[in-house]
Amino acid sequence: MLAPFPLDADQLALRAKQLDAAPLPDGVEVDFKPTRAAPANYVSHHDYVIADVVLFESGLQAQADGYDAVCIDTVSDSGVNALRSMLDIPVVGPGRSQYALACMLGRRFGIVTMWKQWFPIYEKVLSEIGLSDRCAGIRSIDVTPDNRTLMAGKDHALPLLLDAARALVSDDGADVICLGSTTMHEAHAHLQENLDVPVINPGPLSYFIAEALADLGLTHSRSAYPKPQIPKPEMVSAMLDGAARSEGER
Amino acid sequence: MTKILVLVPFALDEAQVANRQAQTREISLRPDVTFHFKPVKAGPTSFTSPHDWMLLEIALLEAGLSAEEDGFDAVVIDTVSDSGADALRSMLDIPVLAPGRASLIFSLTLGRRFGVMAQWEPALARYEKVLDEWGLRSRCAGVEHFDTPPDFANLIAGKQDEVLPKMEAACRRLVERGADVICLGSTTMHQAHGHLSSVLDVPVVNPGPLSYKLIQTMLSLGLSHSRTAYPKPLVEKSAMVHAMLDAASAVDDD
Repeated sequence: MLAPFPLDADQLALRAKQLDAAPLPDGVEVDFKPTRAAPANYVSHHDYVIADVVLFESGLQAQADGYDAVCIDTVSDSGVNALRSMLDIPVVGPGRSQYALACMLGRRFGIVTMWKQWFPIYEKVLSEIGLSDRCAGIRSIDVTPDNRTLMAGKDHALPLLLDAARALVSDDGADVICLGSTTMHEAHAHLQENLDVPVINPGPLSYFIAEALADLGLTHSRSAYPKPQIPKPEMVSAMLDGAARSEGER
Repeated sequence: MTKILVLVPFALDEAQVANRQAQTREISLRPDVTFHFKPVKAGPTSFTSPHDWMLLEIALLEAGLSAEEDGFDAVVIDTVSDSGADALRSMLDIPVLAPGRASLIFSLTLGRRFGVMAQWEPALARYEKVLDEWGLRSRCAGVEHFDTPPDFANLIAGKQDEVLPKMEAACRRLVERGADVICLGSTTMHQAHGHLSSVLDVPVVNPGPLSYKLIQTMLSLGLSHSRTAYPKPLVEKSAMVHAMLDAASAVDDD
């Protein structure tokens, strides 16, 4: 599972708590790996470009290192397309996985999220996989997220998230609720207990999908994600050396 | 004087850049406008895979980052992949023209359905991506290729006799499939535009020169991209992006 920021052990542990949401499939182990550099957040095309490169670099060696699948710990699915073009093992994006699953659970889904600045990352993935028409709405609670500490100290956000999710169901016509970030996993249980519609927790979903793909012998289509004629892994690695140096100098 | 920066998506030498610069002579440009061509520091060698597209995004972002402080009034990306355009828009207030989406959308002002002529089979995937991203699939009569590997440095110079008939045949297949307008699938095809538009009965859109016209129009009308569609980053990482491309360039030179 590729975490999209350089995180310390405590911060990684907060992300790894997603694993407690459901028992892992038998024989499955999940390791979390942070990136070496990152955008400060995911609110601008400037950030998305950097995110793609740093997550790509972080996952590039996964197959050689013996992993059976890669999951990206962000619903922006950053780095997924480029990693698929290099790796034969499944590369799972929680964004596209949760929207596709939502369409198996209801007619239309809604996305509840922390702040409006994340709306474009949903629109990007939805248009890429052609499911924009199945999205009943996106609602934000306008609470600034923290990609290091997640929901810690944000108890006031829980009732707001619940209200927003209820409005997606009653006003917008959503049959299923998707979470707008894997970092919102700590809110999942509260929302599911208080709502009558399914609530998808994208991070845990992604490693169940990864296990299913590996077990079914399925992976991404090479015609949709062709390999480069000239791969440049050394160049990408040098770019991250440069990025880490530049960030260290600040 | 109006200065426009044209970003070239490959690390080309001066003569190769001059081949691309020749596009500006195919149309009349305002005398007070000058075009300056700048290649990326490093980038992908091929352009047929998500790996390549991603590398080009960051390479072009880096190449254009300082355009505004360098005194340019606008930026044009010299590739219909529009690579780097969205990220540059998030950083710059001056207009950033993306010839891919511009030529497809412009073609719909000339006909009901457009056809795209691609270079070769491995190039088809990136048009699929653009058609999905812009929701233009229903207005696309098809994408046909002329089965010739690209030569990013020399383009079709010296190979006209062999290549032009193949290009013409691909365009005619597009017309048969219902295209009212042909869009050239790459700015590198500009040398074929004169021939194709003389032998075909439908308009042929040449994305490079079109983008030079459109950017002048935007400047004249005082228009630039919408900040709500392309928000600025909360924390800019320009130094980091420059360091990444400097490091990439050092490896590429080895």
